[in-house]
Amino acid sequence: MCCLCQIVPERVLKRLAADRKYSAEQRKNFADTIKIDVQLRRLRTQAARLTRVAALMAEAPTVAPAPAVTVYDCNHGQTLPGAQILNPAISPDPTAKGVFSETKSVEAFYSQVFGRNSIDDGGMTLISSIHFGVRYNNAFWNGSQMTYGDGDGSIFLDFSKASDVIGHELTHGVTQYSLQLNYTNDAGGLNESLSDCFGSMFRQWEENQTVKQADWLIGKDIMGPSALQSGYTCLRDMADPDAKHCLAPQPTKYSQVRPGMDPHLSSGPPNLAFCTIAKAVGGNSWEQVGHIWYRSMTGFGPAPNLKMMAFADRTRAVAAELYPNDAALARAVDAGWKKVGL
Amino acid sequence: MSTVKVEKIGGLAGFGLPGSKLKSSGETAISALSPADQAWVEAVFQKPRGSQEAGNERDAHCYRITRTKNGRDQTVEVPEAKVPHALKACVTDKLR
Repeated sequence: MCCLCQIVPERVLKRLAADRKYSAEQRKNFADTIKIDVQLRRLRTQAARLTRVAALMAEAPTVAPAPAVTVYDCNHGQTLPGAQILNPAISPDPTAKGVFSETKSVEAFYSQVFGRNSIDDGGMTLISSIHFGVRYNNAFWNGSQMTYGDGDGSIFLDFSKASDVIGHELTHGVTQYSLQLNYTNDAGGLNESLSDCFGSMFRQWEENQTVKQADWLIGKDIMGPSALQSGYTCLRDMADPDAKHCLAPQPTKYSQVRPGMDPHLSSGPPNLAFCTIAKAVGGNSWEQVGHIWYRSMTGFGPAPNLKMMAFADRTRAVAAELYPNDAALARAVDAGWKKVGL
Repeated sequence: MSTVKVEKIGGLAGFGLPGSKLKSSGETAISALSPADQAWVEAVFQKPRGSQEAGNERDAHCYRITRTKNGRDQTVEVPEAKVPHALKACVTDKLR
């Protein structure tokens, strides 16, 4: 079955299905694809509805059990989720064992620090797939699960080796079930920044680092030998977004953000603001500043097109609400955003 | 011989973005593709611009696909999940 044709317009598929240049089997595949497209559209609509309903249900005063953590092996294919690994905690595959353990740890971070029960705050199962593709240089969230490539062993190592990467991907799920941010313009940059902020906070929490001890690098532990030899030590540096040691340097000022810019670039200013504020406040990032960011992300319902300025102002208001007698904290939040032009 | 140029963009690591030190590109002869993939290439250039949305995927790559037709370059950007394997396989990841 030609399952890759979802993108092809229906009228083109109909023409191809009737085109005798193609074999009977190929024509049947095109005809079948039309049917699949209709079903996929229905599924997507239902998934969006489910996300909204699940968000509402998460507010209900029920106690959901802690989430299950499952790990699947793609065996270097690209079909998700792959084959389930029945007991990843004791798997002889170190990647399976590592992803299980780190995902449990991210779940504990959200639960212990922010009182959140999984991605949806309703105990949603945390699904991860490993060994995706061949020498695949990426990790991603597909709307319902995390996926990790092994890296090519040259530029990148196994993407699941970095705890901040696992925290980053899982946080995309949290954003999907809270702010529901789009992935373009300001909202896209905020979406990416929240994943970097909570991914970095998770790494610091796990290593029990203060903001001064933290390196604020994203993806440090997946840099492969050729990247390191060339002087690149990370994907991004939240403390110095346009530094030369970053594989993907970012803007540092909101005035540099342009419409349509990739969210991995436009996340630079809010990343720098978060890091600046956390450093000014001192102590542990996941405490006061982390709670301000978490409440700003989860406490106001969906805002798919949220602007960076509105988010900045929201953190100012939340800081005053959560810590009304802490003028120094309020000044730090304000100054951190002003530094990046917000 | 007619070819398509393919470039991988974005992802968690930011391939091909302005200032990025990562690049991933390649090309393939259209005749080297299967009939189904050739049909996909033909069809994808008929899709209206901006209609190839990625849905809820985050950090996934996108593929910039360029062909030359009637002496003019035509380019489309397609989310990774919708690109045939043969086209994704023709790119090579490099440091700039």
